[in-house]
Amino acid sequence: MRIIDKKDFIEFVNLLITKDARTVVGVKAKGDKFIYDELASADELRLDFDVTVLSPKKYFMPPTETLLEYDLSSDFKVMSVNEVTPLIIIGIHPYDLIALQQMETVFRDTYPDANHLLKLERSILIGTNMQNVSPHSFAASMGTATTRYGYDLMLTDIGDSYYVELGSDRGEELLERYARVSMPDESHKKRFEAVINGIVGKFQKKLNFPADELPAILAKTYDSDLWANKAEKCLSCGSCNLVCPTCYCFDVQDVTELNLRKGERIRTWDGCLLEDFAKVATGENFREDRASRYRHRFMRKGKFLHERFGFIACVGCGRCASGCLPDIADPVEVYNTLKEEVL
Amino acid sequence: MTRENVTIYTPRPATIKRIKQMTENEKLFEIILDDDMPLGHNPGQFVEVSVMGIGEAPISVSSPPTKTDGFELCVRAVGNVTRAMHAMKVGDKIGIRGPFGNGFKTNMLKGKDLLFICGGLGFAPMRSLINYVLAYRRDYGEIAVLYGCKRPCDLLFADEVKRWRFMDGILDHHLTVDEVCEGESWEHNIGVITTLIPKAKFNPETTYALICGPPVMYRYVIHSLKEKGLPDEHIIVSLERRMKCGLGKCGHCQINSTYVCQDGPVFVYSEIKDLQEAI
Amino acid sequence: MMRPGVKPRVAFFDFASCEGCQLQVVNLEESVIDLIDIVNVVSFREAMKEHSDDYDIAFVEGSIMRPMDEERLKNIRNRAKILVALGACACIGGINTLRNRYSVEHVKKVVYGDADMDGNPFFDVFHTKAVGDVVDVDYYVHGCPINRDELAKVVTSLALGKKPEIPNYPVCVECKKKGNVCIFERGGFCLGPVTRAGCGAICPTNGSGCEGCRGLVDNPNTDSELEVLEKYGLRLEDALGKFDIFCYRYKGEISK
Repeated sequence: MRIIDKKDFIEFVNLLITKDARTVVGVKAKGDKFIYDELASADELRLDFDVTVLSPKKYFMPPTETLLEYDLSSDFKVMSVNEVTPLIIIGIHPYDLIALQQMETVFRDTYPDANHLLKLERSILIGTNMQNVSPHSFAASMGTATTRYGYDLMLTDIGDSYYVELGSDRGEELLERYARVSMPDESHKKRFEAVINGIVGKFQKKLNFPADELPAILAKTYDSDLWANKAEKCLSCGSCNLVCPTCYCFDVQDVTELNLRKGERIRTWDGCLLEDFAKVATGENFREDRASRYRHRFMRKGKFLHERFGFIACVGCGRCASGCLPDIADPVEVYNTLKEEVL
Repeated sequence: MTRENVTIYTPRPATIKRIKQMTENEKLFEIILDDDMPLGHNPGQFVEVSVMGIGEAPISVSSPPTKTDGFELCVRAVGNVTRAMHAMKVGDKIGIRGPFGNGFKTNMLKGKDLLFICGGLGFAPMRSLINYVLAYRRDYGEIAVLYGCKRPCDLLFADEVKRWRFMDGILDHHLTVDEVCEGESWEHNIGVITTLIPKAKFNPETTYALICGPPVMYRYVIHSLKEKGLPDEHIIVSLERRMKCGLGKCGHCQINSTYVCQDGPVFVYSEIKDLQEAI
Repeated sequence: MMRPGVKPRVAFFDFASCEGCQLQVVNLEESVIDLIDIVNVVSFREAMKEHSDDYDIAFVEGSIMRPMDEERLKNIRNRAKILVALGACACIGGINTLRNRYSVEHVKKVVYGDADMDGNPFFDVFHTKAVGDVVDVDYYVHGCPINRDELAKVVTSLALGKKPEIPNYPVCVECKKKGNVCIFERGGFCLGPVTRAGCGAICPTNGSGCEGCRGLVDNPNTDSELEVLEKYGLRLEDALGKFDIFCYRYKGEISK
């Protein structure tokens, strides 16, 4: 553990921006919301954010990404592409760090996906504990309000300084190279613990039951009326999918230049709420109605991926709830209602 | 930007060696991988076929693994990729990823009686297994094929199907079509595929049914088989879904916690009957 | 569907419109060179003098207002192997459907006053129709104006013998991928949740709500969209009015 004074922290960030070869990305304000974006100076960094519009997933699985380049002017010319920009990302809340770990598990499973994994491996993740909590977040209920892994460094604001947890050798080296730090004393540790212990109390939204009951609750509620009732208002706009830090589904398309010679095979974010998601070439759509698509997402988060990978694929960030215009996507409301149905 | 030789998304170059028009909408393509390696597939597995500039589509392998000088794909022109394939000629290049999926467990079926039930294009993957089983005929018990399509002219692999009539004692078969148009000759059954099930004599204790066809077919066929006393563990289905990546990543083929592209497309019915949305 | 490898002959036609969509084609700039390399443009009034009636693909801009338009359009359809509707006016009637709220007589009176139009076929107008209301349309390039990248995608697809993939998901998808803050959260109103994507969410990205120029997705949840517009402060009447600008043709299908 280390201590870094706030003014030294500013210098640390500025040094990263000016001296390190990697691109430095951090949380910045956009209107009254927050986004991840490249930092021009430490002044732009807003570690007091509640939640960002998109999660840092966008750097490891970009909204649109080239997988292959092809050349149609010769018989069969295909080149694999993996565009990697090594990053230092500053200011990732624990729930998003855990979401990145889940994504890594998925992309490492059976057929390791270099397009995802290489971007992750070449980047430094600097986490930060939550100072402010989004009104839709329920990370405390999902056990993701704090984390002991998934970061290279973890910052906690303890007043005049940051308490820095070391998560990896890479993180430690980064501090050694660019930061003036000291060792924590008892008072630092006490203040750190007080901050950590205070985080859980900041959440307004809570599940009324332990999250590990979710798979069992969902197993009993496949035929609940809730799905159709809620889905009646579903716009099938996919917003809940697209802002989710653990949604990883994608579509693949060939895009050829107008000269009909060169082209790219791209992958782009897709969403299971979108009408044509499960449609096959013959026209059959395996989840044609809104309700079955709406249900699929909650089942997938709380049950299906749990069966497959052993984790509940919802980290409680609340982005889906705040991004849903008809206000039907809030997992807390859905899961709490289902819990009552099975009581 | 790094350009690597191969990622999981890189198709292997392959060449079309032979094309045979099978029906109005279906062609058979014989494909050779340019590195001359055998595909190394199991019956029931599929490949992702790339026509660069057009896209990629999952297509089941129609030839048995016993054929090692290339493999065959029976392709219906229905989407962009398959239509583009239909416009190709011998010598043209395509890309291949795979084989993917689990395929039929040919060892588990050894010594058993096999009842193949195929509808329409569902005959394409099944033909791989039928020909494999015929190549190792002694390893299996009774074999019967029930095969239905829309019209007599839609019959796939018609030459091979016609030869079955000379295979008394080797392979029993019953054919059906939904309708016969004027001028077409047809000496077999007319009606949906389930009307063939009573014609097939089988012992439910020793028989395994293998089903592949359009989505609407499964429920009715399974119902009829269960009425004849076939246990769920003896019913094996091959399911169609939108298998976009073949790698268990893109999410399109997911049925509950199952990825059809990895865990399927072949499933034992007893394992998926409680999987909502599957059948 | 065109045969790959054969350079298709292409013609552009305009009906009631501002011709801004054809201008977008001209604005392809250096890509125009690529375009004329892969297709043979045989008629394009806005860009060239020559004209030929022998073409494979017809791009039709504008909406259909008069019997004489219908006749001309049917002629084009008969000659073309593929007919592509270009832009909002052609695809959904567009801005021109604004006048469908009124009777034809009223509209004529407002615009032309007491002028004598009897027997003049140029003034023999009916309620605005989209191209697809009169003839079969093979493909649509939506938008007011069309998006050049999408046009390029449609042209390359046709030249490669591929069916162009026009999105059937709403603008929200492209807007979210851009990382935008939702227009509703910025105090605005937006038809993005029911409008067909393909524009790259250009309006929300630049701060204004979607007006629906690309028409609605195949199965829009317009009731829910209306509720959202009301929830964020529009009166139902004004919420419905949002659909007037480009999406008047859909109003009959909105159940509220």
